Amino acid sequence: MKKLAKLFEKGGKLEKLYPLYEALDTFVLTPGKATKKAPHVRDAADLKRMMVFVVIALIPATLMGIYNAGCQIQSFKGGDCSLLSCFGVGLMQVLPIILVSYMAGGFWEVLFAVVRKHEINEGFLVTGLLYALVLPPTIPLWQVAVGISFGIVIGKEIFGGTGFNVLNPALAARAFVFFAYPAQLSGDAVWVAVDGFTKATPLAVVAGAGKGGSAIAALAEAGYSFKDMFVGFIPGAIGETSTLACLVGLVFLLITRVASWRIVAGCALGLVGTSLLFMCFQGENSLTFFSLPPHWHLVMGGFAFGAVFMATDPVSASATNTGRWIYGVLIGVLVVLIRMVNPAYPEGVMLAILFMNVFAPLIDHFVVEGHIKKRLAYIEGKKG
Amino acid sequence: MRLKWCEGFNPNAKSGLKDVRPYLKKRKSFVEVIQIKKGKDIKLKGAAEKQVEELDLPKQVAIQPPDFRGVRLRLRVKEGDVVKVGTPVLEDKDCTQVHVVSPVSGKVVAINRGEKRALLQVVIETDGKQETVAFKKHPAENIPLMSHKEIVSCLLEGGVWPVLRQRPFSKIARVDQKPKSIFVHAMNTEPLAMDVDYRLNGQAKGFHTGLDILAKLTEGSVHVCFHKEASSDALANFPSSSKIKYHRFDGPHPAGNVGTHIHHVDPVHKGEFVWFVEAEDVLRIAKLFVEGVFSPVKVVVTTGEGVEKRVYKKTIIGAPVSHIIGEAAKSNMRYISGSVLTGINVGAQGYVCFYDSQITVIPEGGKREILGWALPGLNKYSFSKTFASSLINKNEDVSLDADEHGGHRAIVFNSVYDDYVALDVMTYFLLKAALSGDIEEAERLGILECDEEDFALATFACPSKTDVGGIIREGLDLIEKEG
Repeated sequence: MKKLAKLFEKGGKLEKLYPLYEALDTFVLTPGKATKKAPHVRDAADLKRMMVFVVIALIPATLMGIYNAGCQIQSFKGGDCSLLSCFGVGLMQVLPIILVSYMAGGFWEVLFAVVRKHEINEGFLVTGLLYALVLPPTIPLWQVAVGISFGIVIGKEIFGGTGFNVLNPALAARAFVFFAYPAQLSGDAVWVAVDGFTKATPLAVVAGAGKGGSAIAALAEAGYSFKDMFVGFIPGAIGETSTLACLVGLVFLLITRVASWRIVAGCALGLVGTSLLFMCFQGENSLTFFSLPPHWHLVMGGFAFGAVFMATDPVSASATNTGRWIYGVLIGVLVVLIRMVNPAYPEGVMLAILFMNVFAPLIDHFVVEGHIKKRLAYIEGKKG
Repeated sequence: MRLKWCEGFNPNAKSGLKDVRPYLKKRKSFVEVIQIKKGKDIKLKGAAEKQVEELDLPKQVAIQPPDFRGVRLRLRVKEGDVVKVGTPVLEDKDCTQVHVVSPVSGKVVAINRGEKRALLQVVIETDGKQETVAFKKHPAENIPLMSHKEIVSCLLEGGVWPVLRQRPFSKIARVDQKPKSIFVHAMNTEPLAMDVDYRLNGQAKGFHTGLDILAKLTEGSVHVCFHKEASSDALANFPSSSKIKYHRFDGPHPAGNVGTHIHHVDPVHKGEFVWFVEAEDVLRIAKLFVEGVFSPVKVVVTTGEGVEKRVYKKTIIGAPVSHIIGEAAKSNMRYISGSVLTGINVGAQGYVCFYDSQITVIPEGGKREILGWALPGLNKYSFSKTFASSLINKNEDVSLDADEHGGHRAIVFNSVYDDYVALDVMTYFLLKAALSGDIEEAERLGILECDEEDFALATFACPSKTDVGGIIREGLDLIEKEG
């Protein structure tokens, strides 16, 4: 082991690949570095631990996504619908996407770490999986690679790497492929991995229904029940369909205090408030979406996944507690606005979060200015 | 040989009003409690018993210029010089009236230098006589009549000036400045720190004389900050001078930090200065005035799981760690002057730093564990809730080694800091301003109220292993340099 270490340390033959060595080495063993100065003792939690916890929180959504992808195929083909076969079929479909996402993303991470001579940040473990889970199961693998490359390089590395990015890299990647390859990323044909099979997602069903109708009736007609949408047996992006799985992940993230509860609560509050407001203005000629109750909004589309896993990314979110509330609420508001008022595209979670990512520094700016004013007032008050 | 020259420090003496001056009032009920909510106590293994052991005079002591950060010091002695207790050893290049004096009588045997010939240590061998330089005596009742100028010159001449430090920047106070107030640091909440209340028991007379002297140095007030439960005679009663104010603090660390006290009592704004002084040094000041001698007495508490005998030890300034601990040095242990959060690794052969009153010995870090990120971690200590240990409500003291427990990464979890900083600052934004050298923004965010030690817990908790306090220190250094 020590011999190997020498190769990568300063003066060694493979000195340049030190970040890669460090990543693998500390994966197996803790770094075991003594502190150099005060504080002499440190918390046992490191970034690796925290990031791995996000990945653990994603496991239910991943498993449900794999199972559902298989289930959708099998139920259309009329094949074996047992748990095992659905899972197997789903795994064949989803695993390559996850692997390609990790490999292509990992390549860029390592490259930048080597060139910039810094450690490989474990945040990539989360980004790679998040990105894979918001893709439709039918996406061509080369598009997976192109997307994650864009997300990592343009979304993160050109800003200076992890910790400096304005946008959530997984969402930046998703947005890129969405606008670059709309045929493979939107429409009714991409959600179930069977050729020629089209099925509208619940959001598309409501968006496409005639004016003045009942959204719940339209959904029932298309074969969607609240329970199916909550548990996740609907067509959609791999990881986003099951609100239940997202909730399990959320509970885990909140118990371990890895995610900010303020952001998630803000998102839910914004969504419920705005959809209630629209319900109040419901009329005979209003869009069908106006009649959709808030709790249906919560389980449809990528809201649960986005609010729990994407909006809570601490780097691209607001960094003040007040800011986190504002940021969360505005995401919720924007999700409903995009779903209802924008006729072109019924799903608004990705764009809402990206939009608020851009605004998060501005929100923080005002919160910090307010804090500074309060501080000065406190000091002045103490004088008197 | 027993130390005969020590002042009568006897914490075990019954505290009562009998030996206290008649104008003293009972305190307690008057003083409101300032409750600190943010922060956390690290219950480290190895607390000291409340018992005092008097040590013999050490063979050698060291005066260490790096203890006086931010001040350029030069030598007043050379190797072979004979010194007495109170002989100047170092002086401030920028203000030659300020000196650091010898705590012993004896001979200068070594002057140790580091890189670029920076002064590291002046080692003095003791002759056992403890001959003192005689300074002018000022009886306690005369002090109210003395002028500011007389007080200052007496402090400078007697060599106790370096005990006065200023905020911002935490360095020796400037002679030409009058601070807006002076803080007496009479509590300490750092892990395993000395109980200052216990230290002051039986010292009411000297402590109150010292406060009267300090009151002469400022137009504002002298703020004595101590723990809610303090009961020593020095803190349970107070002189009726309107310039001396008492404040009780309660809560987890950093409730005992001087920065926390200043922030909650009399915060500093740009262009303002406050001074602070350790409670023990107030006794030193009083002794100089009343008896006309420099008192080198220092009580050091030995703590941490690496020490067998953990008690309060009465010794002198600059004493060697090995002498104070009095045990054979152990391998794989870290010997810290100060606490685990803010102390300095001096090694088993080192000396206690000038302002410290604690030695902590903990196991050295550097052990590697397999798959540390994945295991449940029943025995891991963490402020976060990511280890199984957080599910078990353990009230036991924890054993911590000097390990970083992770690699350095970019900051991702930026919300962990503020819960552990007891000042009203936004740590993450302050960090960004300090890192980018944006002095103006850092000042607006309150960096002048801060010091490295106020962020020790934030550094402890950071999963990215960022040296939060170090960055704040660099920011302050930059501000000082730019004037």
